[in-house]
Amino acid sequence: MRAPHRVVITGVGAVTAVVSGGADAVARAIAALIPTDAERVDRALAQLVDHGEARRLSRVSQLTLAAARIAIDDAGLEANGALGIVLGTELGDLRSTIGFADGFLSRGPAGLSPLLFPNTVMNTMAAATAIALGARDLSLTLNAPTVAGEQAVIRAAAAVAAGRAAALLAGGVDELDPAVGAVLEEAGGRFAARGEGSALIVLEALGAARARGARILGEILGTASASLPASPYGVGRRASSLVIRRALAEADVRLAALRAIYAGENGDARRDAWESRVLENAAPGTPTGPPLARQFGQTSALGPLKVVAAAREAPALVHGLARGGSEVALVVGAAPVE
Amino acid sequence: MRRVVVTGLGAVSPFGTGVKTFWAGIAAGTCAIRPIKLIESEGFRCQIGAEVPDGVGGSHRRSRADRLALAAAREALDDAGLSHDDRLETALIVGAVGGGMLEAETWHWRRRDRAARGHASIGALRSILPSSHAETLGCRLHLGGPRETLVTACSSGAASLAVAAELIADGSVDVALAGGADALTRICFMGFNALKLLDPRPCRPFDRDRKGMSIGEGAAFLVLEEATRARARGARGYAELAGAGMTTDAFHVTAPHPDGDGMARAMRTALAGGRVAPADVGYVNAHGTATLQNDRIEAAALRAVFGEGRVLVSSTKSMIGHTMAAAGSLEALATVLALTHGVVPPTAQHEHTDPDVPFDCVPRVAREASMSHAISNSFGFGGQNVTLLFRAGA
Amino acid sequence: MEAKEVLDELKAILVSRLKFDPRRVAELTMETPLPKGVDGAIGLDSLDFIELSIAVEERFLVPIDESEDLVPHFASLDTLCRFIAERAPSA
Repeated sequence: MRAPHRVVITGVGAVTAVVSGGADAVARAIAALIPTDAERVDRALAQLVDHGEARRLSRVSQLTLAAARIAIDDAGLEANGALGIVLGTELGDLRSTIGFADGFLSRGPAGLSPLLFPNTVMNTMAAATAIALGARDLSLTLNAPTVAGEQAVIRAAAAVAAGRAAALLAGGVDELDPAVGAVLEEAGGRFAARGEGSALIVLEALGAARARGARILGEILGTASASLPASPYGVGRRASSLVIRRALAEADVRLAALRAIYAGENGDARRDAWESRVLENAAPGTPTGPPLARQFGQTSALGPLKVVAAAREAPALVHGLARGGSEVALVVGAAPVE
Repeated sequence: MRRVVVTGLGAVSPFGTGVKTFWAGIAAGTCAIRPIKLIESEGFRCQIGAEVPDGVGGSHRRSRADRLALAAAREALDDAGLSHDDRLETALIVGAVGGGMLEAETWHWRRRDRAARGHASIGALRSILPSSHAETLGCRLHLGGPRETLVTACSSGAASLAVAAELIADGSVDVALAGGADALTRICFMGFNALKLLDPRPCRPFDRDRKGMSIGEGAAFLVLEEATRARARGARGYAELAGAGMTTDAFHVTAPHPDGDGMARAMRTALAGGRVAPADVGYVNAHGTATLQNDRIEAAALRAVFGEGRVLVSSTKSMIGHTMAAAGSLEALATVLALTHGVVPPTAQHEHTDPDVPFDCVPRVAREASMSHAISNSFGFGGQNVTLLFRAGA
Repeated sequence: MEAKEVLDELKAILVSRLKFDPRRVAELTMETPLPKGVDGAIGLDSLDFIELSIAVEERFLVPIDESEDLVPHFASLDTLCRFIAERAPSA
């Protein structure tokens, strides 16, 4: 079913250990395979979030706000009420949750911090960013293993296409915290090499973007998502899926026209193998782009980063498949020609 | 235009398992808020809450919240009579906040203090995240459509219904299972205590003497379906989900905007979506947490949208407490049932309506009222406002 | 407790629980307004005040009654020190 508006990308903001910056910086970093720099994130936060704000924002919220500021600036937009945010995250603000609980375990009820409590709910990053920006349009947080960033872009694109929102920041964030990491390792090991960072793209309707003379980086041509059979957080056996076909159909793009697939290869061997089999079936012969998860580490920021990379090699496909079976596909096109 | 109807209902509430049990409880105005047994409460000012009684069932290797979700989801799917093939295309949109935090807390507490009670294995941590309910439900119930978990604090359950309806209206799917689930957690209980937002007695929404919230737990899921398809397969339609509004205050992490502007916008958007005038709405199932702030501001927003005294208002939280991520969906369920039964559930413990609340709050006893439309409000921390509009007859 | 000690403890609370930069806190005078929205204030909002009142209860054993209007007592470090001196259990 055709939606009324075409959805275009007008800005990018990323704060990661590989790169901090807008569309051009991100594109250069991906092309040059720049490695991670552990201090880059902290330097970026010091620049983009002032002391007064930082006092009340957990680190993962600061990451989100910082990326949002870069993205809005990159898009040439102003932070105002007609802006919203759709944010994906896998781990949220677990650091604050542990801190809150430990306050009680150390000192009883008097050790509970009211300031930390709101951070124990995963919408804290989106809420804090919306407050800082005065953004009063749609605000949603999605939680999923591996593909939360892609899901956020899909959800945001649907809202813009249907005219439910004018301009949305869409993307994902995850932080690396030693305490959280230690707990996760005890819980069942780290399959993928994790990273940290936030990335947000700005999505607008084509008409509105053109009307304000925005630079257009690409277009979301089609999306689809579904679930393959698997046990919770397990790797499934089925390798035949309709998701890519559906995304291509909505995009009105032929499989043969795809120049690349940006998939989710992230070092989780069994998951990677499953996705490879699915891609072999659905898009045999289509070359895969460089595995951004290897460069950036596994975070929910990968979804929008893959979309940005795909836009530069358009038409290209972004694909994600999580343990447990959640599968996503986005077809990304070049900036529409007038 | 594609219309969305409700074709299946499922719930686990502080009254017990099942939709019938839930309706019997709220229609009778029964308060299910009692001394807490699930977690330690000594040393805290408020020691009561609305717990789901024993007998939820399900494997104890699953988190409590997953078990609540699974029981409610199963009931909804069976009620809708969805076939195996239907389920392969059914989207799953879950509102969640605490996830499996209760079991993770038990594990963490024991690590710090050998004498802490309860037992939880390291495996408990695998279900800690809010997304675990969708993983459990999706896998166990063989749901093959899009799978998403929304976290918007106290409005998560309602947001899941709004987004599921969008998926159907947009044409992405024809059927969706949507709703929310939450189990009591120490963090939630302690946090609201620390913020001094809990009433040591069962909460009294919209009452002049209210002193704060009561917490609760539960789960509710609704099957939403494209109207023509539902009719074609002879599905029973409870009501139409005719409109939804999702807005953001962008004001403060815990306090609502004092003007109630975001709340009013959510309500107006929902009404506009259903092309319904305020005068056509017979009942508002309020967010009604019984905090001094929420009730006053929500009443102001209601006045702005409907005019004084022009609609019946009641809060289900007076009976089941604030069930967090489940609230939006349990209360949507209450709203649908109110329409189908022609009965408005009451506000329990209501003695003296606050002068700032110029509405009939249906005190203590349910009211017969034949209505064409009703709305359900859910306003979450961080100013995440959701209003759902239901239309009778499907 | 000596007045100077109370002041030092309050400043320590501003750093440890309210996460203020120690240098910023060192600059505070007794008259610096606390609440957001007041000129020259350190800028505490409602959530900060709840955190502060819990810390004051714990550190100085001052019982705080939520139904009481606390706004005048929390206006500045000066008013807060007096409040604590009046309400703390005698040594």
